[in-house]
Amino acid sequence: MRIVVTHPQVPFAHGGAEVLAERLTEELNERGHQAALVTVPFKWYPRERVLESAFVWRMLDLTEVEGRKVDLLIATKFPSYAVRHPRKRVWLVHQFRQAYDLDRTELAEFGESAVDRATRRAIHELDRRTLGEAEKRFAISQNVADRLRASLGLDAEVVLPPPQELDYRFDEYGDFVLSVGRLDRAKRVDLLLEAAATDPTLRVVVAGAGPDRERLEQVAQSHKLNGRVEFRGRVDAGELADLYARCGAVYYAPVDEDFGMVPYEAFLSGKPVVTTTDAGGPLDVVADRRTGLVTAPRADELAGALRYLRDHPAEGQEWGLAGKAVAERVTWDAAIGRLLA
Amino acid sequence: MKVAYYSPLPPERSGIADYSALLLPALRERVDVVVPARGQTKPPRGTELSVYHVGNNPDVHGWIVDALRRTPGVVVLHDFVLHHLVAGLTLARKDVAGYLNAMERDAGLPGRLLGLGVVDGCVPPLWSTRPGDFPLAGEVLDLASEHGLIVHSEHVRARALAAGFDGPIWRIPMPIWPEPPAEPAQVEGEPLIGSFGFLNANKRIPQLLEAFSVVRARHPRARLLLVGPEAPGLELEGRIAALGLEDAVERHGYVDEERFWSLIAACDVAVSLRWPTMGETSAGAIRVLSLAKPLIVSDVDAYGELPDDVVLKVAPDEREVESLAAALLLLADDPARRATFSGAARTYAHGEHGLDRVADLYVRAFEEAAGGPAVREQLLREVARSAGDVGLEDAEAIGSALREVGLGR
Repeated sequence: MRIVVTHPQVPFAHGGAEVLAERLTEELNERGHQAALVTVPFKWYPRERVLESAFVWRMLDLTEVEGRKVDLLIATKFPSYAVRHPRKRVWLVHQFRQAYDLDRTELAEFGESAVDRATRRAIHELDRRTLGEAEKRFAISQNVADRLRASLGLDAEVVLPPPQELDYRFDEYGDFVLSVGRLDRAKRVDLLLEAAATDPTLRVVVAGAGPDRERLEQVAQSHKLNGRVEFRGRVDAGELADLYARCGAVYYAPVDEDFGMVPYEAFLSGKPVVTTTDAGGPLDVVADRRTGLVTAPRADELAGALRYLRDHPAEGQEWGLAGKAVAERVTWDAAIGRLLA
Repeated sequence: MKVAYYSPLPPERSGIADYSALLLPALRERVDVVVPARGQTKPPRGTELSVYHVGNNPDVHGWIVDALRRTPGVVVLHDFVLHHLVAGLTLARKDVAGYLNAMERDAGLPGRLLGLGVVDGCVPPLWSTRPGDFPLAGEVLDLASEHGLIVHSEHVRARALAAGFDGPIWRIPMPIWPEPPAEPAQVEGEPLIGSFGFLNANKRIPQLLEAFSVVRARHPRARLLLVGPEAPGLELEGRIAALGLEDAVERHGYVDEERFWSLIAACDVAVSLRWPTMGETSAGAIRVLSLAKPLIVSDVDAYGELPDDVVLKVAPDEREVESLAAALLLLADDPARRATFSGAARTYAHGEHGLDRVADLYVRAFEEAAGGPAVREQLLREVARSAGDVGLEDAEAIGSALREVGLGR
């Protein structure tokens, strides 16, 4: 089949969603399909740009290319699903959350003016129509599917995206807690630092870069965590696999995350994951005392969970292995099989 | 957002006053709502959007249309047929030309001539005899076209579109009272069948009595509860006597709100028939459903939109009595079936008509109405500018694509 994968592109930014779209395209090609990734730059500010960016997708004709029909189109995240195609399927990474659950929060994009409020509503209507017209809808996590259902009344089947390829292995059950991910406020690394502050025996390694790094380093300093918290910055694939292989547990507790690849990567390395009750997507696979620990989003409770894992390595290993069995079922064969069914 | 909300309110006796009394507290949790006093036609300072509740009663809604004329805004159209309202706004104010213009607008020159006949007294008042044929909603629809129209049913939406309305339309169900406060009244009847609201021929009371007599033949302990004032000319007593139902029918005139609820709660089955309709949605029917009562309605207009697994429907045709009797017997004979309809009624009423859901839909409509035109205009201007920059003039393709995604008019 000739398949187009659509994805918006923020120039110079490259995160999990971009990796997902690229991998999907590659994996389709490896399975004998002819797949191409189509991207269009996305700018969400000032707020009127959101609708313009969305509308650009609508004006594209991807029904055929060079006189040859495009058999199927798989759109990923807002606003790439605004494109027209008679066989449009959506594997929803996320909607424009500022128009939904992030509205009127500290991460809000829209103010209280009539035009701001109406722009937000116009995004809802655009989503309702362009997601509603899709032949099939999939979501990358139960959390994303639940949000879609709650906000627009549209159903989506959950198809979990497989984690990136790394040299996953288990070397040891080491003495540090690993945090992996972009450093921004929503990833809530500061909660881990506060937990470390309550217990002088905890060690933390933070892998990842992002706009919140400076603030996080200041938080670490203010809690006098020097020597117990190590900011590694962006790490390459080899170093990341090594950290996973050697850590004692992985911390991953963003605020209401869409999906979260980190728990799968931790599991493939045989490590348990500690998350919080409000983390969203990670709760699809991190089950309390089965594949890790789920705590209230409070520093003292988190510290308790991390101590427990350090003091009970056998249970931690058992949960890590249980997680590995879960993660090994999330494969590209399974995902593509369902996306194309 | 500051919204000026024009509506009758209790103690005015009007279904729309009760509706607003229920809705306003939920709206106030979401937006800044100001309710102008009756007769105040100028919006309060700082108003970003005016919302007008329009129904067919000129005494209740005349001043609201005056305010709408002064400052166009969103219209909540409770009835599609507004003949009585328009007659009140024109003839009752000695504006004969206004009435004739409205008639001509609806029905062309024959309409104007018919209107002249009414004015001259040689044609009976059309608002009493044929309001449905001349709904006279044109002016109100015009005044709503810029900001939009809120309706309660697909029926009214379709009629507005058929009348040429080209503004935004939002369909928002009627809200239910969150916690109906009543204990069931002690009324005999096995089963007890009830009809609630003004008793007149439109409510198909004669047909209900005939159908009930069939039920009574098979269920001698069945009783019929008629709650509401009787319209002149209905001759209810004579009809009841002619059918030999004197001991089987219990009548109540106007009852207060608490008693009204408790009488509904007492029933095993409720009947809410209407034909012809004025395009309205029955608040009474929704109340009955919220109390989980099996309900029989007329299969017409907004009533016909109620789901088939929630209510039984009877067409107002030549077999109406026969169909109604069959529906009543279906429920009277089978308590398990009544229980099934009861559960479906509760689920439907609390889902579709839940107060929070309704209030959220209102806020959505307000936000789209207040800022939507500016958002669309801004986008269209930007897209057109870009198209113009590169010499593209296929405005139709652009307009069509904008409409497809809800960004065009």
